[in-house]
Amino acid sequence: MPKQLMQFMKTKPETTLPQDWQAMFRDWAKEAPEGPLKRYYEAGTIPMDTPLKDVPMLALDLETTGLDSHTDEIISVGSVPMDHRIIRCNGSGYWMAKPECSLNPESVTIHEITHTELEEAPPLHHIFENILETLSNKVVVVHCVAIERQFLLEAALKIYGFPLYFPVLDTMDIERRYHTKLPWWKQILGKKPSLRLDACRQYYHLPRYKAHHALTDALSSAELLQAQIAYHMDATNDPISKYWL
Amino acid sequence: MDVELTEIVEALCQHAPFNEIADDPSLKDMVKEVEIQYVRTGEWIIERGTLNNTLFFIRSGAVEVLNKNGKLIRRMNEGELFGYGSLLRGGKSSQSMRAIEDSLFYRIPARWFLKLYEESDTFSDFFELDRETRLKAAMNSQTSDVSLMTCPIKSLLRRDPIGIDVGESIRQAAQMMTEHRVSSLLIMENEQLVGIVTDRDLRTRAVAEGLAYDTPIKAIMTKNPTVMDSGDYAAEAVLKMMELNIHHIPIVKDHKTIGVLSTGDIIQKESHGSIYLISDILKQTDVDGLKAISRKMTHTFTQLVVADANTQMIGNAMSHIGTAFVKRLLQLGEEQFGKPPVPYCFIALGSQAREEQTIKTDQDNAIILSNRYDPEKHGQYFEQLSHWVCQGLDQCGYPLCTGDVMASNTLWRQPLSVWKNYFSEWIQEPKAEALLHLSIFFDLRGIYGDKLLANELNKHIRQEAKNNSGFLSYMARNANQRKPPLGFFRQFVLDGEGKQSRTFNLKERGIAPIIDIVRVHALACGSDKLNTIERIADIEAAKLLPDGRAKDLALALEMIGMVRISSQKDQIENGEEPTNHVNPERLSSFEKRHLRDAFHIVSRQQEFIKFRYAGKRS
Repeated sequence: MPKQLMQFMKTKPETTLPQDWQAMFRDWAKEAPEGPLKRYYEAGTIPMDTPLKDVPMLALDLETTGLDSHTDEIISVGSVPMDHRIIRCNGSGYWMAKPECSLNPESVTIHEITHTELEEAPPLHHIFENILETLSNKVVVVHCVAIERQFLLEAALKIYGFPLYFPVLDTMDIERRYHTKLPWWKQILGKKPSLRLDACRQYYHLPRYKAHHALTDALSSAELLQAQIAYHMDATNDPISKYWL
Repeated sequence: MDVELTEIVEALCQHAPFNEIADDPSLKDMVKEVEIQYVRTGEWIIERGTLNNTLFFIRSGAVEVLNKNGKLIRRMNEGELFGYGSLLRGGKSSQSMRAIEDSLFYRIPARWFLKLYEESDTFSDFFELDRETRLKAAMNSQTSDVSLMTCPIKSLLRRDPIGIDVGESIRQAAQMMTEHRVSSLLIMENEQLVGIVTDRDLRTRAVAEGLAYDTPIKAIMTKNPTVMDSGDYAAEAVLKMMELNIHHIPIVKDHKTIGVLSTGDIIQKESHGSIYLISDILKQTDVDGLKAISRKMTHTFTQLVVADANTQMIGNAMSHIGTAFVKRLLQLGEEQFGKPPVPYCFIALGSQAREEQTIKTDQDNAIILSNRYDPEKHGQYFEQLSHWVCQGLDQCGYPLCTGDVMASNTLWRQPLSVWKNYFSEWIQEPKAEALLHLSIFFDLRGIYGDKLLANELNKHIRQEAKNNSGFLSYMARNANQRKPPLGFFRQFVLDGEGKQSRTFNLKERGIAPIIDIVRVHALACGSDKLNTIERIADIEAAKLLPDGRAKDLALALEMIGMVRISSQKDQIENGEEPTNHVNPERLSSFEKRHLRDAFHIVSRQQEFIKFRYAGKRS
């Protein structure tokens, strides 16, 4: 376990300071064991002063057997490439992974994925290299950074003995920032706005989607980010470091 | 790896034309190349003059289309498509599109659009750029093959004709009819049809009159009966039967009689109460009887709509029924007040004159009196008679005219010479008020009495109109007063100025403008027809309009008319009073789409007559 990285994750400041992910990737590329993960870090990421409009992004969503990244497992991954203006279905990806432990019946009903489908899917470590290639060079867009990044980190630790960690644009975090920009009296008196994906989408008049399919949810957060950019951000002048986590 | 973008496929397939090709496997491949774009309110999506390479599908939100002068052309919402015009032309966009709400678009690459356009007829039909063609295709797809409209008479004939020589006796004729179980018999002389005898004739003209059984059949036959061609549509036969109040029509093919069409044959085909309704009306002996029948009219109307009759046929049927009421009321009036002291003609105005009546319309009528009319001597008689008729019609469901354009108004009960003066004045010096009258009075048909009086007045009108070219430009301007809507946007009716309203009047905003346009052209080419469709045929024959344009008007009229009658049918079935108002919420997307095309045709033709008959103000 690389001490620097674990240290960094533990002491990560609450308020986000501009982070130089490019520099961090350079360091981790040296430490990572030979293999796909090393290649991933070696491919690097964009400089922190890149304007939003030039950022290659990938909207990502995972479906898991539960919420605990230590005990639960990833069962499907959906991804769609995008930039600040256009989402491209052409490069979208969808994977299912057979969990090692048996499936919790409750989560099955949420995901609409059947046991049979999962039985036939390959285990996660067989497809992880593909997922890494898809993530390569992209800033990842998710709704709620905690889940996606944590699960992928644990998975990489298990598979390669080294964590996977990457820059993220979190649509939930962005939404929180703009909601806390409300005048103080609105913050006190007003109902606390929901930050759920579906609720956030409605603030921007985006259509309702059926939730809990990794690819649809990835699309959902991709569209939400576009709306947030259109409403709140300056794609030409804002550097990525202002938003990534 | 099988990536299924179900969310996108499902959204697309909820709307035309993708719903038509939902099973097409290439649709899934297409979706993989879709791009998604979010646009905020007020932002431009396509600017005029820029190259466009995308078909836009509105997933959510709304878009406004503006032409080169920045004029609003239409508004679109969820499920609608734009950008295909420039894709088909392979060039720059001639219009601008702007988001009027926060919108999410699915962008379909040009090559996929062109591929589907090439490969699928249902898909390309949808994008047919020519509104007229699209409207026509839509109208064709609506007519069912089994309706009276599209079925030729020959398909209804059930047996060879039964005939008898003109020299035979009544007894022999009756025996023959019994033997063959027919209700009518053709009377032949040298293999030529010379007459027809029906059950009713035997009863009323022979038995009731006490004729000897050996009287020649010739004595009771109807001479030279009306015949129709076997290729004519059954609907035309129905109209003929209603018009002449007959139940049998000999059918000929190449000058040879091949059968007899009876009302029974038609009822076999479809229940068709309107023919019997007219016979019933003419049998009534008092106003109460007529009133009772008038209550059945809504039923007859809905029956016709359900039977897929087109607007022309329904208009005809309703007008003949209306005319039967007038006829019977006048007959009863003459029984009550005595024979008319001088000849007169009762005339129908407006929709009844054009034979385009629908359910429940106000009465618009007048009387032309003979020039021998002397108010001192005859005034009281006609005052009584006209009040009798107008009140009677009111009781039978034809409300009194709010504008008082009725025979009971002395102004509109005048001798022919006065009528001629009225029209000369209106035509030579058209004033705003005169024009209001004209649109009603210009469609004028004699329906009872001395119809020559009406014919002569019509001739006078056409002559005057021909000699006063400035008048046509007044009529053309008048025909431009009522503008059709631009189209629809969600549950609203959209006007050219961007105004939106909840309902609109199909008659005022769609049907009347077409009738007005057609009337101007009809006057210009000296047509003596009154029915709008017949006028259009004359206009076409006179080549007054560029090729096909006259027919477009007929199509537009039929489309708007169909929507009106089906919406009136729905209103009746919901227990509401039938009106000309339509709420877009109750329209199907098919109806909305094609109404918009029809409106477009109307406004373009309004523009055309403005310039075609542009004249000096006289």
